[in-house]
Amino acid sequence: MAYEPVLTRYVREPNSFTLEHYLQHQRGYEGLRTALGRAPGDIIEQVKASGLRGRGGAGFPTGLKWQFVLKDTPKPKYICCNADESEPGTFKDHVLMERNPHLLIEGCAIACYAIGAKVAYIYIRGEFYHVQQVLEAEIAKAYAAGYLGKNIFGSGFDCDVFVHRGAGAYEAGEETALIESLEGKRAQPRLKPPFPAVAGLYQCPTAVNNVETLCNVPPIVLNGAEWFAALGPEKNGGPKLYCVSGHVKRPGVYEATMHTTLRELIYDERFAGGMLDERPLKAIIPGGSSVPLLLPDELDTPASFDHVQKAGSLLGSAGMIVLNDTVCMVWLAQNLLHFYRHESCGKCTPCREGGDWLYKLLQRVESGEGREKDIDLLYGVASNITGKTLCAFGDAAATPVLTTIARFRAEFEAHVREGRCTIPAEWRARQPMLAGHH
Amino acid sequence: METVTLTIDGRPVTVDKGKTVLQAAIESGISVPYYCYHPGLGVDGSCRVCIVKIEKMPKLQTSCSTTCADGMVVTTRDEDVVKARAGIFEFLLVNHPLDCPVCDKGGECPLQDFSYAFGPAESRMDFPRRVFDGEGVKADVDFGPTLMLNRNRCILCTRCVRFMREVEGDAQIGIVDRGNGSEIATFREEGVHSLLSGNLMDVCPVGAITTRDYRFKSRPWDNPNVVDTICTRCSKGCSTSAWLKAKPEWARGSQLIRMTPRYNPAVNDYWMCDIGRFGYHWIEGEQRLRRPMVRRGSALESCAWHDVLPKVREQIQQAGTADPSSVRFLVSAHAATEELFVLRQTIDGLMGADARGSVSLTWARSEKTQPAGTRFVVPATDAPNVRGAHDLGFAVGAGHDGAPDLGALRAAVEGGRVRVLYVIDPGPDGSLGDVAWVAAARRAGTLPFLVVQGVVRHDLVEAADVVLPGATSTEKDALYTNDQGMVQPSSRAILPPGEAQEDWRILVSVARALGLSLSYDSSDAVRVALAAAMPGTAYAGAGAVTFSRPIPSRNWLQASNPSERWKWDFMFQDLPPVKGHSVQMEGVPVKDIIPLKPTQA
Ligand SMILES: Cc1cc2nc3c(=O)[nH]c(=O)nc-3n(C[C@H](O)[C@H](O)[C@H](O)COP(=O)(O)O)c2cc1C
Ligand code: SF4
Ligand code: SF4
Ligand code: FES
Repeated sequence: MAYEPVLTRYVREPNSFTLEHYLQHQRGYEGLRTALGRAPGDIIEQVKASGLRGRGGAGFPTGLKWQFVLKDTPKPKYICCNADESEPGTFKDHVLMERNPHLLIEGCAIACYAIGAKVAYIYIRGEFYHVQQVLEAEIAKAYAAGYLGKNIFGSGFDCDVFVHRGAGAYEAGEETALIESLEGKRAQPRLKPPFPAVAGLYQCPTAVNNVETLCNVPPIVLNGAEWFAALGPEKNGGPKLYCVSGHVKRPGVYEATMHTTLRELIYDERFAGGMLDERPLKAIIPGGSSVPLLLPDELDTPASFDHVQKAGSLLGSAGMIVLNDTVCMVWLAQNLLHFYRHESCGKCTPCREGGDWLYKLLQRVESGEGREKDIDLLYGVASNITGKTLCAFGDAAATPVLTTIARFRAEFEAHVREGRCTIPAEWRARQPMLAGHH
Repeated sequence: METVTLTIDGRPVTVDKGKTVLQAAIESGISVPYYCYHPGLGVDGSCRVCIVKIEKMPKLQTSCSTTCADGMVVTTRDEDVVKARAGIFEFLLVNHPLDCPVCDKGGECPLQDFSYAFGPAESRMDFPRRVFDGEGVKADVDFGPTLMLNRNRCILCTRCVRFMREVEGDAQIGIVDRGNGSEIATFREEGVHSLLSGNLMDVCPVGAITTRDYRFKSRPWDNPNVVDTICTRCSKGCSTSAWLKAKPEWARGSQLIRMTPRYNPAVNDYWMCDIGRFGYHWIEGEQRLRRPMVRRGSALESCAWHDVLPKVREQIQQAGTADPSSVRFLVSAHAATEELFVLRQTIDGLMGADARGSVSLTWARSEKTQPAGTRFVVPATDAPNVRGAHDLGFAVGAGHDGAPDLGALRAAVEGGRVRVLYVIDPGPDGSLGDVAWVAAARRAGTLPFLVVQGVVRHDLVEAADVVLPGATSTEKDALYTNDQGMVQPSSRAILPPGEAQEDWRILVSVARALGLSLSYDSSDAVRVALAAAMPGTAYAGAGAVTFSRPIPSRNWLQASNPSERWKWDFMFQDLPPVKGHSVQMEGVPVKDIIPLKPTQA
């Protein structure tokens, strides 16, 4: 039986974002009404039982995260919705917020009820100005209809949802940097512990959840944990959004279960529909730019958290970057490091200093000026970053270097040997812009 | 206090509960480097050099941010840690200019020392270094009235940022831009304007923040000696170190080269204010009084001590015989407890204890402009010993928190009822407060005789009949009682200039001239008598107080900060064998070798 999308079924319809459409077609706010009729602890138990895992990158079980939120405290608690979506190759939250905003709003309200919060902040990426407009207009409608605000459904439960637009920094998507930014400070991460569940926003217990994660909550409440878990492989249940980009015929956001393999996502007519110009696949980055490459012989891996990890990469944000044989792997690493060196928050030494150094080395090798020892140096510098930084950004920045050298060392050697890129010039994508270069 | 016991490098270590692994290592003399950690500031965890391996933890952990737990097993020197740490040191030097020979921090720089001890032998970085402000020439910028900032040297440890936020209470320093372009900055480049600015030089682990006062004046090895003492510029009484520049007898210029704070949790923690730190130049300044002087007509002329004392005796005896209340003392609260004690004995002996009212204490007050939330409050009372004078039974106006009360004395002087006014003024210019009325009374002819026992030539000295050169607190061993009632020793760092004498000695000479049989031959003897006279008080131990003598100063950090002191005591001498020296030097004792890269040898 063909999979019927849950989160994105109506997004192509012109009015999918309106409250009326949501009420009419998606049993809008019935999940919230149902939840308010039960104990908050029940909701947490149900989400735990569903096996819902965070869609922001780490795949941490959402119910567990909510359970960790400190209960016995006189302080207020908060839900922070991570809508910073800045991982290269990732563009799914954007679609949900723009085309199905009430699903997120309802998810925020249920999450607040479950952890005992009264306020949710949606921290939205600085560039998503238009999306913010849509969200705010729809939030206003939800208030007017009594789905937000005081005494929702006469239950005594109050809930406010605010949208806060960031200033455009990838690192602001790291959960503690997000909290700092929300507090009006520089988007730099905090030391953990304490975790946000204990001391988050304004030092109060906080759960940070991705947009897609929260959008899965109303369907779980409505359809039950078993329904959700049964949709995918064990511990990888529920609907999943995949952002397929790169050298494919139809790049886009596709909803599927995590049974779906990488091959299907690239070649199946329901999804990206095959390689662009029928060129051969060279590699795929399955989880946004921060995860290791997979090669064509790994394409039958189901795109689930656990299967992709077992194959040696990570599902991450499910941003599938598909690369064909025209891509120079040195250039790829350089392109990505251009991003990471520009986005490093600069707080800790290895990432601040090492990222820039890696970029310079890659530029040298890519331009044909590199020396034999630069390859080992690249690998050594990247290894010196990995695992030594304050936040996971450092690992993310080192990964493109480590994975391209591990998998395509010969291309690096060819650059050094020939003194130039060995990919035919007409194939090569354009050089990255040197914005922000010091 | 509850304790926990953990193992570091195979050694059991017991520390107070709540301490971090880094603190535990420091306390037990195990070397773990650190930059962003400072014991007086909040934990940041950003420099990453303090990483260690902890059993059952998947990754290396920063020891500064890991709280000790019972049974924890920590390794600071296995291969993984050594390699990872060296990698981070390599990163720290990727953009550091290595202009050590022209850097004020050179020779006392934790970046130098830790890099030698823990860094790789050579950097693999061969790109041009990052420079701010263009060609490296404008790297040095003004950083407010007291400081300079060299951004190229900064390692972004954010100690300065946190000091301003947490201690000063006004977050004037921030970081602008991000990533590799991050730089230390102040709003519109206005620099730091703070009464505590000098502490930023102390906390900065590199030569990025330097003080204009000390800049280019000396090198650490030129300052071989340091004296542990206290600051006497206000009633707080911060623990400090006075640094002495080595110079031959004949060389001109001053010997005091800088003042730095010394850790004292009960008074000043790791800090001191700029008034005490930078306000020492007057001590060896041109205006110091070096010889006794007497008035001849309109001029003051130098003379010998044995000529000047009889004049003082004569005037006091004459006035005292005619009317005991016509001899009055105007005493600065910069006078040390020993001096006040000798004065008390003199008055008691000559006129009886009832006559103590002939002494009026005075001091200057200035309300300091500080942020409301500051953790380091500089008191308004600009004198060290109001409490001491009070404890000795002298009237002190509104007390150590308030203003002096000179109303009665002033009325008596202006009314012509005072024939001899004896001023004791061992503090800096201005520390008597507003006493212009004294000189005015001299000019008006209502005050017949004025004695000034002081240290700097100022308006009151110009109006005096007799001038007796005394000693500043830096030039004598003396006790002062701070606003908390703590009796603190201030140690002699240098000698009084010329023929100037310690004030207790001058007062003893005057008392003897007046016929009293005081037999003190040292300030120790005065303190012994003081202790005997005040049993059961904070002064009962005064006879046994010890004073610091010049001690080898290897590094200022050792004095300001116990964990840094550990570093210098324990590790600096314990540097690993010099790396990469040439074959010709084989067999030469390591201590005789200056480390060079092989390519330079
Ligand atoms: C450098 C960095 C950037 C991140 N960016 C995002 C982001 O844009 N959106 C997001 O949801 N999570 C992002 N994360 C993951 C968050 O830290 C956090 O794990 C997530 O928001 C938790 O939500 P979830 O449990 O629902 O996935 C980022 C993490 C790192 C280290
Ligand atoms: S790894 Fe360090 S510098 Fe990089 S983003 Fe995280 S905290 Fe900032
Ligand atoms: S100026 Fe000094 S104290 Fe401030 S961040 Fe830089 S190195 Fe650290
Ligand atoms: S001292 Fe621990 S990270 Fe800087």
